[in-house]
Formats: sequence, C-alpha cells, structure tokens
Amino acid sequence: MHKRIFRLVSVYLCFQAGLITLKAQEFKLLDRTVQIHGFVSQGFIYSNDNNWLTMNTSQGSAAFTDFGLNMSSQVTDKFRIGAQGYDRNLGQLGQYHPALDWAVADYRFKSWFGVRGGKVKTTLGLYNDTEDEDFLRTFALLPQSVYPTDLRDATIAHLGADIYGTISLSHRLGFLSYTAYTGHRSDSIYSGYPYYLSSFGAQIKSYGGLQYGGDLRWNTPLKGLLIGASRLNEHITGKGSAINPFDAGLVPYSESSKADWTNQFYGEYVVGRFRIDSEYRRYWRHQELFSGSSESFADIRGWYVSGAYRICKRFQIGSYYSHYTISNIVAGALSAFYPPATDTNLPANHDYDKVVTGRVDLNKFWNVKVEGHFMDGYGSGPYPNGFYTQVNPKGLAPNTNALVLKTSLNF
Amino acid sequence: MKNHKLLSLAAVVVIFAPFRVIAADVKVIANGGVRADMISANELKSVFLEKSNSLRDGTYVEPVLEKDGPVHEAFLHEYLAAGTDDDLQSYYRALVFSGRGSMPKQLGSDAEVVAYVARTKGAIGYVSAETAVEDVKTLTIVRENNDAQRRLITRVEPDYPDTLKRLNIGGIVRLQLTIGPRGNVEAVEVLGGNPILGESAAAAVKQWVYAASRSRTIAKLSIPFDSHH
Repeated sequence: MHKRIFRLVSVYLCFQAGLITLKAQEFKLLDRTVQIHGFVSQGFIYSNDNNWLTMNTSQGSAAFTDFGLNMSSQVTDKFRIGAQGYDRNLGQLGQYHPALDWAVADYRFKSWFGVRGGKVKTTLGLYNDTEDEDFLRTFALLPQSVYPTDLRDATIAHLGADIYGTISLSHRLGFLSYTAYTGHRSDSIYSGYPYYLSSFGAQIKSYGGLQYGGDLRWNTPLKGLLIGASRLNEHITGKGSAINPFDAGLVPYSESSKADWTNQFYGEYVVGRFRIDSEYRRYWRHQELFSGSSESFADIRGWYVSGAYRICKRFQIGSYYSHYTISNIVAGALSAFYPPATDTNLPANHDYDKVVTGRVDLNKFWNVKVEGHFMDGYGSGPYPNGFYTQVNPKGLAPNTNALVLKTSLNF
Repeated sequence: MKNHKLLSLAAVVVIFAPFRVIAADVKVIANGGVRADMISANELKSVFLEKSNSLRDGTYVEPVLEKDGPVHEAFLHEYLAAGTDDDLQSYYRALVFSGRGSMPKQLGSDAEVVAYVARTKGAIGYVSAETAVEDVKTLTIVRENNDAQRRLITRVEPDYPDTLKRLNIGGIVRLQLTIGPRGNVEAVEVLGGNPILGESAAAAVKQWVYAASRSRTIAKLSIPFDSHH
C-alpha cells in the first residue's frame, strides 16, 4: 500500500516538476545554449481476460509509468553533445531502475557525412528510436507485432558509433538519408526476455552482445511520402543459471547466437491531416542453448498498417491492424520438452490486433489517449510478445480485449 | 430527425473541412554573415528539417521559425511539406528525444525573427514578404525543375521603380526561366507578383549568366522587392 502511494506521489511530483520547468527549458553555460527536455507518461490497462504486458490487467492495472529527461547543447557549428536518462515501470518490467537511455557526441562534417558515438539510439524502421515517446504519435501503444514494448531493450540502443548523412538527389528526386552503425547491446535484467526465461527457472545475469546494421530512407519527390529499409545483425550471449529440466538441479545457463538478424521495410505517407504508416519486420533467431546441447530456430514476422487523422488541433483519431506470427523448432536435448511450433494458425503462435484510438491534446504539452485493442491469439511461443505464463498461471484464453488509457506530458 | 441531419452535416463539414487558405507571401532572410544570396527549395527544406546545418558553400546555418500564424503556415505548406504544424513539432521532438537534434528557435513575430536573425551568426528564418528587413539579407529561392542547381556566374539586380518604392508597393515576384546549355537565360515567364515589378525582374534576369551544362534547365525563382530596404 505504501509502495503504491509512493508511486502515485512520485508520478504527481514528476508532472508538477514538468509543469514548473515548461518555461525553463533553455539556459546558457559557457556562452553555449543548453536545452532541457523531458517527458512523463502514466497509463492504465484493463483487459477482459488474459493479463497483458506483465501487468495484472484483468483486474485493471496502472503499473505503466515511464519518464525521461535530457540535456543537449550545440557546442560548435558542427559538434553537439547530449544525454537522456530514462526510467520505467511496466508491470514486472523496469521496476523503476533508471538507465542511461542515450548519451551522444555528434560531429557533422557535412550534411552528407556525420559521426556520432556513445550510447546511441538504434535506427530501425520508423519508430524504434522514439518508441518510448508515445506523445509523438496518435497511438498509446505502437503496433506490438513490430515494436513490442516489453522487449524494447532488444533493439533500443547500442554502445558504439554511427555514421550518417543526407544526400540531396538531383533531378528533383528528393533526398536519401543513411545510417550505418556498430556497437554493443546490453539488456537490463528487468527487461522482457530475462523475465520470460525466468518462467523456466532461468536466472539471467547478463544478456547482450554485438549489434551492427544500417538504414536507408528515401524522402521521395511525392510530397509527404517516405520509404525505407533497415537491417540489424546481432551476436548475442546470455549467461546465468537454470533448472535442469532432466533432474531439476541448478545448472549454468548459456545461450548464444548462431544467426540473428532483422529486416524491416517501411513506408509513411502524410497528406494534410492524414498519416498512413506501414511496416514489415522479419526477425530470424537461431540460438545455441546450454553450450550447444540444444538449438532453437525462431522465425518471427510482424507487419501493420495504421492510419491517423487530425480532426481538429486538439483531437485525433486513429486505427491500425497489427499482424504477428512466430514459428519455432527446438533441436537437440531440449526437443523432448518443446515440440515444433510451426502452425501459425494456433493462438499460441499468432497475435492479430485490431486497434482504435482517440487522442485529445489538453494543451501543447499534455495529452490523453483512449485506445481499444481487440486481439486474436496471444503469441506466447518460444519468444515473448506481451503475454507471459507467470502472470497467467491458469493458462491463456485465445482472445483478449483491452482498454488502454494513457496520459503524457512533455516539455 | 432534423437535428440528426444537422449533426451529420456538421460532422461531414468538420471532417472534410479544407485547410486554411494560405495567402501569405514569405521571404527567406539570413544573417549578414551567410555568404549565399540564393538557396534552393530542396536546401531550404533540408536545413529546416535539420538534415543539414550548412549550405552548399559550407556556411553554417541555424533555422529560426515563427511560432504560428499565416506566415508560418505558408512556409510550412510551401517549403516543408511536413503536414500540419503539430506534425512539424512532433518531428522536432522526435529529434530531441532520440538525441538526433535540437529544438529550433521559435519566435512570436516577424519583428522578433528579423532581430534574432540580424544578431545571430548563421541564423536563417522567414518573415512576411511585406516585413521591413534591416541588417539581414534576403535570399532568393531557386526551385529546380529538371536538373541540379546551376551555378550563377553573373547576376544583375532588378530595378525597383521609384514610384512603387515610394508608395511602399513591394512583395515577391515569381519567375520561371529557361537556361540554355551555354548558361544564357533563353526565356523568362512571370508566374506571380506585381506585374510592373515582374517586368523589371524579368528584364534583369534575362541578363544573368549561369555555368554551362549539357542540357537546358527550367528553374523557378522568387525575387523579393523590399520597399523598406
């Protein structure tokens, strides 16, 4: 009870702090302008049956809070620095353990060539690098088939470097923007995948590894049309301990990538008050488990189509259809416990989500969203996607309807 | 029943209401330290969307916006194609919160923009075509049609008839020119603006000389006539 009151007071104070600083987001330091920006959001989800996103949503849950604060400064004409702290509590995930979200030193030699290093947000599709900032969009939750919020740590940032630039094309062909990156990904032990593994008795001590990839996007000559493609390769290692399924004893746990890649293709079209987005992501994951005694092959595919319309300055509506499937085969010693799961018609191997949203902007900085999710399937196969057995001990029903309320403040 | 019909009609009117008619003419101004006299529409978009922070000649530039109003709407519609102002604000916030950029300066009036641009190195902004601008330079906007921007070698300034200047009649003249492969201006068409100023601008532009190119180029220009300058 005390913990709950503490959380509510914390959220209230953050909102108040945000309001106080709304007019104080810039100051001078050593004759350089320093900008300060931040956000805080609070959500509530009620679902009719299954518990979703590690929250006790079937009873109604407000364990859906996140906030961030950043500072940045243009030090010279070409050199910029900045950093952002981020914290969240999403059911059993995050649990208010703050993290450095990004911290970047960025040198732009030319518009067509720049370098940024540090902890850098990963460019992957339209929204990966801004997926925490729901106030940027109509929807409270991004399509979970492509941007699973419980697995944000898997793709959100890397400790390394990017090269990037924008090239203006002749013959009125618009411009091309590119990003290429390499670095190290490090998941919090309070993120979705370690939590998922804990359902098998595994306790993860570390999870992460090399990431490298690129993104190419084309602002086409057709006003408002953007298309692009992203690629991400990874070599991930997870270490910890687990309960041996053969004799229930505690043994060292390890998993490492044999092949791990993501391809993403996307398009966005903005015309007047309309916005239409669509993305397709395929994630191929081949893991070696328990030092090679078993292997897991997962083919995860997601896509969505979304549309949003601004009826007036303060009110937007939107809808999307999100399609997620997973098929998986386990080979080796563990195959006796995990039969092939390749039939994507089964609710355990898919999640088709139909969504409608209304967004009201109370002022320039504060919005409220009401969103309905109508889900067919729960996609709780060998890689998580929102539904976890730990918070659904009686099993999962094939369909879930959920009401999401969310409010966000940013400055 | 009648009320239902009225409500339905009102809903249709709200949903399909056309966007505000953009009537304002804008001119692009830059700090005196910016070397360029011209900027292409593509370059302008790139600078204001923070995809670039320098011009082709290497000069550092920093975009300055107006907060709202018809001049801002006109600029947004004409040069940025970024949907509504709210979409543009979300675009900037996405840069800020992902560590990719900063929130640009946004000021409340033409006068504030002019003052800020005049005192800030590299600042580039836009104001109403009618606004008096001092201590800043007005950039000519080039719209490329079928070729990369041709380098201007010889520029002749248009005459500003004294009578019109005295009567404070000014504004933007829009021209379309055909540039021949050898760099000479083969034809000029006045697309908009005051007809007398248009005639004067066309006469000057006909004397301009561009760098040679393998093909003929069609370019669109906006030339400002500022009666206060």
